[in-house]
Amino acid sequence: MFLANYRHAHSRLVRGIHTILGDKTVAIFIATVFLSTPLAAQPTAYISNQLDDSVSVIDTATGSVVETIAVPGKPAGIAVAPDGNKVYVSTPEAKGFAVVDTKKHEVIAKVTVNDGTLGIAVAPDGKRIYVADWYKNTVSAIDADSLQILKTIGVGESPSGLVVSPDNRWLYVANRISNSVSKIDLNTLTVKQTAQVGTHPFGLTIDGRGERIYVANVKSDDVTVVETARMKPIATVKVNMLPYATALALNDSRLLVTNQDDGSVSVIDTETLKEIALITVGTKPEGISTHPNDRHVYVANWFDGNVSVIDARTLKVIDTIKAGEGSRAFGQFMGK
Amino acid sequence: MKKIILFVSALLVLFASVANAHGPVRQKAEEKITIDAPAAKVWEIIKNFGDMSWHPSIMNTTVKGDNTKGAVRVLTLKDGGTLTEELKKYDEAKMSYAYKITDMSSSKSITHAGAEEKVPALPVNDYAASIELADKGGKTEVVWKAGYYRAYMNNNPPEEMNEEAANTAVKAVLETGLLNLKKLAEK
Repeated sequence: MFLANYRHAHSRLVRGIHTILGDKTVAIFIATVFLSTPLAAQPTAYISNQLDDSVSVIDTATGSVVETIAVPGKPAGIAVAPDGNKVYVSTPEAKGFAVVDTKKHEVIAKVTVNDGTLGIAVAPDGKRIYVADWYKNTVSAIDADSLQILKTIGVGESPSGLVVSPDNRWLYVANRISNSVSKIDLNTLTVKQTAQVGTHPFGLTIDGRGERIYVANVKSDDVTVVETARMKPIATVKVNMLPYATALALNDSRLLVTNQDDGSVSVIDTETLKEIALITVGTKPEGISTHPNDRHVYVANWFDGNVSVIDARTLKVIDTIKAGEGSRAFGQFMGK
Repeated sequence: MKKIILFVSALLVLFASVANAHGPVRQKAEEKITIDAPAAKVWEIIKNFGDMSWHPSIMNTTVKGDNTKGAVRVLTLKDGGTLTEELKKYDEAKMSYAYKITDMSSSKSITHAGAEEKVPALPVNDYAASIELADKGGKTEVVWKAGYYRAYMNNNPPEEMNEEAANTAVKAVLETGLLNLKKLAEK
């Protein structure tokens, strides 16, 4: 209703000006509209600030927050659409998720799913959104156009992190209480296989070829490496206290893991599967995502309300950017 | 049109849900104090994980293990309640350590939503804290941080176990502890 009226009013306004002043003004008017729209040329990081009910929009070129978008409902999980035009933010207090328009910098829709939404992911083609519910032990598949729930699938207990395979064929779900990862067939929307991993798996990521997933186990202080074809764990890599989420960089050769209770990020060589560095970041690091340049890795420090930028090549923190209170950014928060 | 209807109904749901409770959201507390004493002197008072006599609410501390990760202390409060805490990180050089509450006695039982609920001695859940000293030109800055959930992990918490109860209790623990530490160190 609101959107329809707005569009109507807008075209009426344009027509009105047109009538009074002629064609030239319309051109100027349109040009002004375009120029006043923020240019989204640089990759952007979207950081959910759970205690502030907001999302910080970070321009990665300047390393500064260019906008803070109000997102009520204790925003926690984040998933950026592949084209970068929308960001999906899970809002557990509002029992669902919010759709943020990245051009308008505002919430354009709110979708009710269930009351324990946290983990959220978007398909590589942008056509579907997946939301986990840690109370109901389900994952819902949502059509990104209609925002209707297509199907709700039962998984393990307390499903948390979600990741879709690059070929858009499989969805992997970390089941925190069940100590497992479910593999969901995205053609049939059914669970195909389940792998047992470490204790309390939470965040996970997948490599570019879709062959391995890396899941952080918050209770056993390690990362389980699972071969996706057979859904078999092939290695367990010890990291530091309370590993929360994972991200890959440098052509999948480095895995970075936030250690929430250690205020650090472990760096693992994915060939030798050994920890090669421990980088001090802020207090309670949680969400982690890699910049499209495949080199800089962004880490949201929940306690400090800021973001550390790590250079995966030099293994140093190169910048710290102030975000909002309770910056969590759980999920793939980096946009094109 | 469908989308617009969905949008409007989603908005209505949002307004309705504001009044409802929800799953817990992790809370944080941070207190700082500047003490007019050298950091080494302040560190001497707090450095033993097994001795929390510097905090006015703690009557007694027993400990298993020394100042290394894995040590477990049991704090007995003045009101008789107990907190069991495990040392998670200890850094002598940085004059800091971090710990977690692993067990607590309950201070009382209440009836809520038809069930008996035990209110823990500190009304929190999954509590992790760290304390750190920094030398500030001969003075000492002490920073005490804590992250935790409210005690009631289901929806619709009773007032004894909601976010406000948790935040008030934690703030009091940190504040009174730091004030007393200042008093002891500036003696």
